[in-house]
Amino acid sequence: MALDLSMPILVVDDYQTMVRIIRNLLKQLGFEDVDDASDGTTALAKLKQKKYGLVISDWNMEPMTGYELLRHVRADENLRSTPFIMVTAESKTENVIAAKKAGVNNYIVKPFNAQTLKTKIEGVCGA
Amino acid sequence: MPPAPARAPRETVPVKTTPSYAVGPEGKALVRELAAVADYIARVKQEIGALRVNELCRDRIPSANEELGTVVRTTASATHDIMAAAEEILGADDTSLEGYRARVEAKMLAIIEACSFQDITGQRIAKVVEALGQLERRLERFANALHVRDGADGPADPEDARRDARRERLMLHGPAAEGQGIAQDDIDKLFG
Repeated sequence: MALDLSMPILVVDDYQTMVRIIRNLLKQLGFEDVDDASDGTTALAKLKQKKYGLVISDWNMEPMTGYELLRHVRADENLRSTPFIMVTAESKTENVIAAKKAGVNNYIVKPFNAQTLKTKIEGVCGA
Repeated sequence: MPPAPARAPRETVPVKTTPSYAVGPEGKALVRELAAVADYIARVKQEIGALRVNELCRDRIPSANEELGTVVRTTASATHDIMAAAEEILGADDTSLEGYRARVEAKMLAIIEACSFQDITGQRIAKVVEALGQLERRLERFANALHVRDGADGPADPEDARRDARRERLMLHGPAAEGQGIAQDDIDKLFG
């Protein structure tokens, strides 16, 4: 199954540089409909307003972290099926296991390259 | 002139001598303890002085703060310049090969120029590292001289306690030290 390049993607990160990097990588992959949010609270509000095909989120943000966002998404009947990739500098095993238990679809440790992001998106969104 | 009255004979005042108290063993022990406390207080004062707290608070720590703030701003600015150049190359729609080549060369030069931030930020970070090293050495000397032990139940700053609890609860460790975190390959195996 080919990637649906028209699917809206929500990038959640409190560092605008990282948002810009991911936006550029997604653009190079062919995705045009990309929104962003600077923390979990803002992201959750956006997720309730628009149907996204994928969430790519950082972990460490305030006031709501990416981990809390993930748990909110998985607890919400309307959002729980949304694919969710964590892209974070948190690289302790306990973080990866906690995210997996909470229902994350994949986990990327920063710094990462375009190929890693592409592979994970393909794996999660079904290429 | 009437004759002067005869003086009364001077009263002999007995000379007071310092009484000699007999200091028993308990008294001697008390004196020794007080002397030890006085020595300790003198040493504490000396060691607090050696910490040069005022210098740290007035100069070293604010200066390190300032340097790190500048590093953050400089790296953000350089990153912006590099990304803007790269974005312009990616979005270039020149019709001629010469035009595209000229644009790419100009932007590559801009990227190289922007990378000069690393030299300056490296020097700024080196100053911060030096200040931290100095602080560490002074605190270590202070702790060793006074045999300071960490208090497990000491009064914690409520704001620090709240932040620590949040970090613990939400597993906010930040980037791992080099070679410490789980590798992407190992993560991939978990998601196999």
